[in-house]
Amino acid sequence: MTSYLYLYTHSPLIARKSGISVNGHIDCVSCVFTVPHVQKVISRTFEALGSQVKAESLVLSLSSSPVFLWPNKGGHATGIINLTLMTEVTEPGVLSAPTLLRGSKKHHLLQTTLPMDCVVSVLSSESISVVCGTLVGALCSQLGDMEKVALRHMKGTALLIPQPFHFLLPAPVGLVTVVYPAGVPDSQLETQRKELHSLFELPDDRPYLRRANALHFPDEPYKDGYLRNPHVHLNHPALENGKPYLVQGVYSYHHYMQDRVDDNGWGCAYRSLQTICSWFQQQGYVERAVPSHKEIQQALVEVGDKQGSFLGSRQWIGSIEVAAVLDQLLGVTSKIMFVSQGSELASKGRELANHFLSEGTPIMIGGGVLAHTILGVAWSETTGQIRYLILDPHYTGAEDLQVITDKGWCGWKGPEFWDQNAYYNLCLPQRPKTI
Amino acid sequence: MGRGYIVEDVVEKYLSNLSVPGASCVTGLLIGQSSSQRDFVVLAVRTPQKDTEGQGSPSVSRGAGNSLERLDVEWVTEHARQVSRMLPGGMSVIGVFLVTPPELSKEAQNTLRRLIFAVDKHISKGRLWSLTEEDVTEKVTLHICSKTRKVVCRTYDVRDPKSSAKPADWKYQSGVCTSWPLLTCSVGLNLVFPVLEMHVLPQDMEKCMKEGLQTWAKQIEDGLCLINGDAMPGEVELLGGQKKNAKAVQQTFRAQILIPMAEPQSERRLTASVKVCSGSLTLKGMVQCRAYLHSNKPRAKHATEVIKRDVINTVSSRVEMFLEDLLMEGEDKGSVGVQQVLPRRVFAPVPGMSLCVCDYMFPDECVSDVSDRLKEMLDWETPEDSIDTSQEAVPEAPTIDLKNTVVQKNLKAKSTLDARPKTPSEDPTEAHKSHKTYYAGVAMAAAIALLATGTSLIYLSD
Repeated sequence: MTSYLYLYTHSPLIARKSGISVNGHIDCVSCVFTVPHVQKVISRTFEALGSQVKAESLVLSLSSSPVFLWPNKGGHATGIINLTLMTEVTEPGVLSAPTLLRGSKKHHLLQTTLPMDCVVSVLSSESISVVCGTLVGALCSQLGDMEKVALRHMKGTALLIPQPFHFLLPAPVGLVTVVYPAGVPDSQLETQRKELHSLFELPDDRPYLRRANALHFPDEPYKDGYLRNPHVHLNHPALENGKPYLVQGVYSYHHYMQDRVDDNGWGCAYRSLQTICSWFQQQGYVERAVPSHKEIQQALVEVGDKQGSFLGSRQWIGSIEVAAVLDQLLGVTSKIMFVSQGSELASKGRELANHFLSEGTPIMIGGGVLAHTILGVAWSETTGQIRYLILDPHYTGAEDLQVITDKGWCGWKGPEFWDQNAYYNLCLPQRPKTI
Repeated sequence: MGRGYIVEDVVEKYLSNLSVPGASCVTGLLIGQSSSQRDFVVLAVRTPQKDTEGQGSPSVSRGAGNSLERLDVEWVTEHARQVSRMLPGGMSVIGVFLVTPPELSKEAQNTLRRLIFAVDKHISKGRLWSLTEEDVTEKVTLHICSKTRKVVCRTYDVRDPKSSAKPADWKYQSGVCTSWPLLTCSVGLNLVFPVLEMHVLPQDMEKCMKEGLQTWAKQIEDGLCLINGDAMPGEVELLGGQKKNAKAVQQTFRAQILIPMAEPQSERRLTASVKVCSGSLTLKGMVQCRAYLHSNKPRAKHATEVIKRDVINTVSSRVEMFLEDLLMEGEDKGSVGVQQVLPRRVFAPVPGMSLCVCDYMFPDECVSDVSDRLKEMLDWETPEDSIDTSQEAVPEAPTIDLKNTVVQKNLKAKSTLDARPKTPSEDPTEAHKSHKTYYAGVAMAAAIALLATGTSLIYLSD
């Protein structure tokens, strides 16, 4: 078992990815399928689902899950337990021999499977009966949330499937589950998010509840193969009176030779730009995928920064171009910082620290003949010591976390890392003020 | 190296006591269990008389030609089907026997071959569960010479139409099934089948239920089965705790079946699917299930298999019987909106053994009807008080939809005892016709979801 994030002080028990099949029979009185009619039936169906979940025949089956117990630490446990909802058919409610009822009223039949996904946080010292009670309660309340969402977002008479998402909000709120209707893009759900932002007292200028912000559980590997946040595995430098200021949130590591593009020697700024785009996507600011080299070049031609001959070439780009692409493709504005000599970077500690505090976005730095990504800075106000957390796009190997951290492809560098005589441009992307 | 059949002593007694007048032939069924290592036969039953016309050999139609040529194969297979319905899980018709005079001994093998293939085909129709790799498909044929009482035992692989006879051992023993473990459970049903097109004819209802029950049967087959509260891995021996020479005693195991609340979804939908229906069929109630395992190192996976198959069989059998009955009585428009009671299961002990068989009682029948059927189908006397009718309770008075006024007609029709297509002793041509029609259609179909309580409430209250 690999180690993974230990998220909570309690141990979470999660009923994940289990479904309930739904059949809602909707009577068609005058063969007109009306909205209020459907709504009534949806409510009644959810009521029935609720009673099914509370029935004695409900069974929860544990499936493979990484769970760790510290029996001598007062039964401290951490882990995620996946459960499947089952029903016992040999626990009958009706006790008499079977009967058959034939009905001949015309009606509509709605069928779907509801993707139940509840998270329950329990103290490992609590008894099984308390845990079970909490779980059933969570399932019932999720059914209630799903009903509200289903009714609120009906497309005419079509029932959009409600989908739950989990979000880890800053303390003291913690883990919440929000249900969104399938098929409705985040851009159309702003009202719902505004309500939730005020409910949870979240700042109203950055996204916390977009689908991309959803919590990624440790037992679910990212399917796209990119490494996420390799910097968390590093030991941060201990400076006298200094502390590290790091990138916030999640980004993917983009570097040479990925995606079957051989950009060895010319693509470093493109890769840094991709890392920055991945940050905006995963923090929920944009829904578009990370752009390819072609798309980046296309964007620059479109804004008039480059001629048509630029397309398909291996020309380098710099911070200005990176800022232009971020604006064109993602609607993100950037601040440009210019240093005439690499040695000046040593004095930029405060500015960089402030950037990471307020914006927390990765920085692209280009100069000399190289481009890099700055993920953080460790700086001491009193001694002036400074270190830079660098993500190097020049790496050409496989997504091997061990190699990347050991060999310093993601690592802390001192001020001697920069070419002391070259000039540098830094692109500092700014967070859009939106939820 | 052929199969080895271990046969109860009572079967020997039964076969030797069979009265075979003159040059006639007697056919019959062999009932038991087959496992990969050994096969067990616990009952032999002769094919019943077809009708009361004349004496002479049962199951032989009149006319010229020798007895074997005149053998009514359909009659034998129909008897086999009826008997199959009366057997709890684990037990099945695993072979046929034929008693002939010595001069017909040579032809007898051909006849037996014809019979066994026909019987297997007929009883497998309408089955809602599928055979697995491990199921034994060899069936036994037994030929007995009426003069010398010599026994010739051969097996055929009914899966292979070209298979040839293989010799097999036939050995009598006492107490073959005394320690056969028994599995029981009661399964609650709450199934709603939508009727997609406007149908009221029994044949159409049949199609609708066929599809509905097929899905339900798959859920049961794929469900998790606990035995005495334990989810044992398939290879664990069920009787592992017993000492080798301990006194053989029948153990009872309680089964529990769990099915997931959602069917596995292949496609990710964004909206619920909508179907227009013209009606629905609601099947509600509890069925009592029993299954036997053999005592030759049975494993947990066999146990779960036999009890699940009994669950599926008992539901599909009684729906079949209900629909057959409906067809016999003609089109039944008036019964819409009325909750009709399906036949309920009753159990009767096998004389001299610790096994039981079952039968289905329609609401207007009584215990003596069951006793008569047992005599006819299984050829033994059952005292009425030994028939257990308490396992499945009689449902309360069916709810009557006042909009439908043809209730009277319904109840009256149900009370006539004669319109019962279950026994082959009625007018053969009629019975055979209806069975033939039913055979084409009777595959029961599956339930769509488990949450029918809510939906049928919605349905009835509007």
